[in-house]
Amino acid sequence: MKYVGTSVKAVDGAQRASGTAQFVTDVRLPGMLHGRILRSPHAHALIKGIDVSRAAALPGVKAVVTHEDTPGVSFGPITAFEDWQILAKDKVRFEGEEVAAVAAIDEATAARALELIEVKYEPLPAVFDPREAMEEGAPSINGRERNIVMPFKLERGDVDGAFSGSDLVIEHDYFTSQVYQAYMEPIAAVVRPETNGGFTMWLPIQIPNKSRLTYAKALGLAPEDIRVIKPFMGGAFGAKMESDVHLVCAVLARACGRPVRIALSRREDFVGGNPRVPMYIHLKMGFMRDGRFAAKEVEVIGANGGRTVYSPPIVATACYRVDSAYSFENVRSVGYSVDTNTVPTGAFRGFGNSQMTFALEGMIDEAADKLELNPVEIRLKNAVPSGFVSVHGWEIMSSGQAETIENAARISGILGRRSRAGSGGGTGGGVLRRGMGLASCNHVSGNKAFFPPFDGSSSIFRIAEDGRVQVFQGECDMGQGQTTVFAQIAADALGARLEDIVMAEVDTQISPFGLGSFATRGTTLGGMGVKRGAEAAKEMLLQAAAEYMGVEVSDLDTEDSEVYSSKDPEKRVRFGEIAKDFMFARGGMPLLAQGYYNPNTVAPDAETKYGNVAPAYVFGTHVAEVEVDTEIGEVKVTGYWASHDVGRAINPRLLEGQVEGGVAQGIGWALTEDMVVEEGLNKNPTFLDYRIPGSRDLPRVVSDFVEPVDPNGPFGAKGIGEPALNPVAVAVANAIYDAIGIRFRSLPIRPQDILDALEEQSRQR
Amino acid sequence: MSKRSITLTVNGDPYEVVTAGTKRLIDVLRNEIGLTGTKEGCGEGECGACTVLLNGDPVNSCLVLAGQLNDVEIVTIEGLSEAGSLNLLQDKFLEAGAVQCGFCSPGMIMVGYALLTDNPKPTEEEVREALSGNLCRCTGYQKIVDGILATAEAMDSSPLRPLSERVEA
Repeated sequence: MKYVGTSVKAVDGAQRASGTAQFVTDVRLPGMLHGRILRSPHAHALIKGIDVSRAAALPGVKAVVTHEDTPGVSFGPITAFEDWQILAKDKVRFEGEEVAAVAAIDEATAARALELIEVKYEPLPAVFDPREAMEEGAPSINGRERNIVMPFKLERGDVDGAFSGSDLVIEHDYFTSQVYQAYMEPIAAVVRPETNGGFTMWLPIQIPNKSRLTYAKALGLAPEDIRVIKPFMGGAFGAKMESDVHLVCAVLARACGRPVRIALSRREDFVGGNPRVPMYIHLKMGFMRDGRFAAKEVEVIGANGGRTVYSPPIVATACYRVDSAYSFENVRSVGYSVDTNTVPTGAFRGFGNSQMTFALEGMIDEAADKLELNPVEIRLKNAVPSGFVSVHGWEIMSSGQAETIENAARISGILGRRSRAGSGGGTGGGVLRRGMGLASCNHVSGNKAFFPPFDGSSSIFRIAEDGRVQVFQGECDMGQGQTTVFAQIAADALGARLEDIVMAEVDTQISPFGLGSFATRGTTLGGMGVKRGAEAAKEMLLQAAAEYMGVEVSDLDTEDSEVYSSKDPEKRVRFGEIAKDFMFARGGMPLLAQGYYNPNTVAPDAETKYGNVAPAYVFGTHVAEVEVDTEIGEVKVTGYWASHDVGRAINPRLLEGQVEGGVAQGIGWALTEDMVVEEGLNKNPTFLDYRIPGSRDLPRVVSDFVEPVDPNGPFGAKGIGEPALNPVAVAVANAIYDAIGIRFRSLPIRPQDILDALEEQSRQR
Repeated sequence: MSKRSITLTVNGDPYEVVTAGTKRLIDVLRNEIGLTGTKEGCGEGECGACTVLLNGDPVNSCLVLAGQLNDVEIVTIEGLSEAGSLNLLQDKFLEAGAVQCGFCSPGMIMVGYALLTDNPKPTEEEVREALSGNLCRCTGYQKIVDGILATAEAMDSSPLRPLSERVEA
C-alpha cells in the first residue's frame, strides 16, 4: 500500500489554507437576502400576541414570519420525541427559542426590523435543574409526566449478590457541566426556494440525509423536494446536526421568494446551539481485593432543555456504554432525560460516554488507591481482549485496550513519577504541587441504534476520460480530515495516484445516502463504503482493460493509475485511456461503479438493550500531568500522553491532530469551560467569558497508536474522534488528586474550587 | 446614514468603496470587495479568525471601522497565495497538519506571517504568545505552532523573500 499508513497532506488543505474554501457563509446567490431570528428573552413564558406590523413596514424588509407562516407541524430529530415547531407556538420554553424572523436587504435592516417586532409575553413558573423538574408539582414544560422525556432501565447479572460479595464498595455523586462545542464557524444556512415548491439548502451539517428527512416533515414536503449541499464545514463536534436555523431560513425564503442567508452571531450561537447534556451521576461500584470490578450501579439524570434534540440517547449512552469498556458482569442502570427551561442539549464529542467516563475512571482511581493497587494494574485486571463479547452483547473484534494502558503508562513514566499526595506521598510542601493521573475509555465506532433503517455506507466511483477518479459518498467532513482519509483509502484500494482522486462535496442530489458523521463512524463505516466502491471500480476497470489490451483479466492489476499485466509489466495503460475507450464505445456512458458495506451489527433490543451496536470498538488511555498552585488555586496541565487503539493508522498526522484537539477540548471542560445559566438565562455567551483553551494554555501532547487491525474496518482502521476527548477531564482530575490529595467529582474544577477544597482539607487535618 | 468614499489598497490592488463610516472592515472585505477568505468567528475581537494585516500589523478586521481606513494597505489571506500556489508558510501549515477545519486558518496564517516578518527565528514561547489572540477548536494549537516553527526553519536570513517564494500547491 502506498498511501494508507502515511501522513499525506490534507487533500483539501490548500483550499482551507488559502482562503478559497467556500464555507456556507461564503455562499453568495443572486438576489440573496439576509435573515435574522427574534429569540425569546424568557426561559418560560406564554406568547400573548405578536405585532409585526412596524417591522414589516420598514423599508428594505421583505418578509416577517411567525408561527402562523409555518406548516405548524410538530417534528424533531428523533421521531419518538417530536416537540419542535419551526417558530414558537403559544409559548416559549427556553431563552433563545425562535419566535419570529425577518428577511431584509441587508443585515443592518434585518437587525433594526427585529427591534420593531412587539411580542407580549406572560412569564410562567420555570424550572432549570433536571432533579427539580422531576419533582411532583414542578412546572410542566412539554406536558410530560414529571417532565421525564425518557426513562432508561437496564439490569444484567446478579447486581445485589455481587455487591454483597465485594471486598470494597464505593458510592459517590458526580456532576458534569453544560459545555459548548465552540466550533469556530457559527451555525448558518443559505436557502434558495425552488419553483417546484422545494428548496436547495447550503448547510454546515454532519447529517445531510437524515436531517433532510426531518426537514421535509417540518416543511410539509417530500424529502426529494429538498436538496442539501454541504460545502466546507468549520468544525462541529456533534453540534451541527438538525438545526431550527435551517428551517427558519427556509420559511423566510419561501415567504419572500428569494434566497436567504442566516449566519448566527457568536452570542446567538451560544443560545441557538445545543450544548453538552449536563448530568448528575450517582455511581456505586463493588470491587474485589485483586482489583476486579464486581458490580456497578448507576443513576443518571440529564437536562434535556426546552425541547428534545439528542438527550434521550445521550443519557442512555451514559447509562451503559462504559459497561463494555471492561469485563463487567453485573450492572444496573437507571437514567432520566428531563425537560428543563434551558437551552436544548445535544451531542458533543463523546455523546454521554465522556460524562460517565468522568465518574467511572475517577472511581476506579479511588478504588486502586484503597486497594493499594496502581492505576495501571487495576485497569489491566479488567481490560477486554480481542474477541471479547461484553455484558451487553457487543462483539469486540479487536481490542488494543491493554496496550493503550501499558503504553500510556510507559511513555509518560507515570508509575515512577507520581506524587501520591493522597496516600501521604511527598508533595514537596511548597506552593506548586505536581501530580499525574491516568484514565482510560472505550467508545463505539458506528452506532446501529442511531438510525434504525441501516448503518452501512456506500460510494460511487466515476473514472473519467482524463484519468481522474471522482468519488461520491454521503458522509461529512467537518474539518476532521475525513476527505483525506477517504482519498487515501480510495487510492490504495483502486491502485490510483492520490492526486487523481477527486472527492466530491456532499450533495443529496448526487451523493449516495450517507448517514453522516457521528459516533466515531466516519473512518470505519464511511471508509469501508469507499473501499468497496473502489474495489467495484477496479473490477470494472480491469474488465474494460482486458478488452482494450486484449489480455486475460486475471493477468491484470493496477498501480499508480495504470493497469498493467503481471505477465508482461511493460504492458501498461493509463486509467484515462481505458475509461476513454470504454466511454466512446458506449455513447459517452461513464465508467461508473458503486459499492457498499453493511456491517454485521445488531440494534439493541428495545427492552433488554442487548445487541451489538457497532462494527468496531475503540479504546484509549491518557495520562495528564498537572501543576497545582495552592496559593491561587490555578491548575496548569504541564504534560500529556495519549495512547489510542485505532485499529490501523491510515494517516498518523491527522490522527495526532484529532487527539491533540480532543485533549484541548477536554482540558477546557475540566478547568475553564462552563455555560453559566442563572434563572434560565445564559450569562456568558462570549469567548471573553466562556474560556476555551488558547495557545498558551496547553501542554504538548505525546500521541501513541496501537494497531490491532480490526476485521470490520477499512485496512483494519477504526475511529478516533470521540475517544480523543472521553478520558481527558478525569485524567486531569486524577492528576489533581495525585498532586494535592483531593478528589474532585464535579466539573469544572475552578481555582476557587481548589482553594475551598484545600481549606477544607487543612481544617480536617 | 451618511456614506463616504474610502480608498484603500487590498493585496496590492486599489479599491474605492462608498460605504457608511461605521461599516466594519471585515464587511468591506467580504461584502464590498468580495474577498471571503477572511472569516467571522465572533464579531467581538475575541477569536482572531478575521485577522488581516493593516499597514503590516495584524488586526481583527471585525473591530476596525471603514471610517478609520482611508489610504491604508490591507493584506488578506488571498494576498499570500497567487495563482493557486501556496506560500512557504501555508505549505508548512499543511505539512505540519496545522489545518483541520480551516476556519481559523486564515487568521492564524496572517498572524504567523506578521510574526515571521518581524521575527524570523521565534522561539516556541514567542509563537504561542503571538497566537494567543487567535482561537482554534480543532488542533489544540500544537501543529499550528509547529507549522510556524518549521517555516522559520526553512526561511533563510531574508524573511520576506522566502515567504513570498511559491511552492506547488
